[in-house]
Amino acid sequence: MLSFNPPIKEEKNYNDLKIVEIEPTIKINLRSNKREFSTKIGKILSILPPNEANTSSGNESYSLLWLSPDEWLIYSNNVNNTLDNQIELENNLFKEISKLNQGAVTNVSDHWVMINLKGSKIFDLLSKSCPFNFKDFKKKKGSVVQTVLNHVDVIMHNKDQNELNLFVRRSFSEDLWLWINDSARFL
Amino acid sequence: MFIINCPYCGERDQTEFSCGGEAHIERPKQPTELSDDQWAEYLFMRKNIKGVQFERWNHAHGCRKWFNMVRDTSNDKIQAVYKMGEKPPVK
Repeated sequence: MLSFNPPIKEEKNYNDLKIVEIEPTIKINLRSNKREFSTKIGKILSILPPNEANTSSGNESYSLLWLSPDEWLIYSNNVNNTLDNQIELENNLFKEISKLNQGAVTNVSDHWVMINLKGSKIFDLLSKSCPFNFKDFKKKKGSVVQTVLNHVDVIMHNKDQNELNLFVRRSFSEDLWLWINDSARFL
Repeated sequence: MFIINCPYCGERDQTEFSCGGEAHIERPKQPTELSDDQWAEYLFMRKNIKGVQFERWNHAHGCRKWFNMVRDTSNDKIQAVYKMGEKPPVK
């Protein structure tokens, strides 16, 4: 297991809402505008980076989120990854992409904290302090959005019906965690 | 508050964006030949008109991409949104 020190050390259950931090997960940021980039990622991860805005692709091991036309975020769906797995993946990507000037590979595992929200009331909770319109987002599995929640930058990935992963920067995670819990009490 | 149609992400609330000021200001080709007044004119002076204005905007809390917008500053009505490097669709 990876030796992370998670900032959130508890799991909360409210009325039809479950909130928990999922750690440890590998998160790697990819940037490239080269043509060969997609093929290289496909070879390494067996997933092609999504070109359509606000979407994601993935398999059992990894999810690949669209962040902008030349930026993607990989994260592992499996918490049992070892430190060796992480180093191996990062090295493979670095060797095939960064070293050959095909783009940039950055390990952001410690940068983002991933919070999993489950339950029928997650969008009621998020709508309390988010300017984004979730109407289409919640219908489409695999949707991705970067927006603000309670004035904090977040990335949201719609995993399934009534389940999403929320990424927040580590330094803001405790503040957002407290806000989520405070708001969840009134649902 | 108004809705902006980001050319990369789609419709989002204005609070996710930041305005980068007037667009299509060309950098002088020979800056060393300019007087201080001419340089200050290029660097600081902006029209800031009431009416239709060409502006640069950044989707700061989204895709972090810059783009151009044609906006009426008196009523925030957006006439066009187009990517950097593209020609304005309206005059």
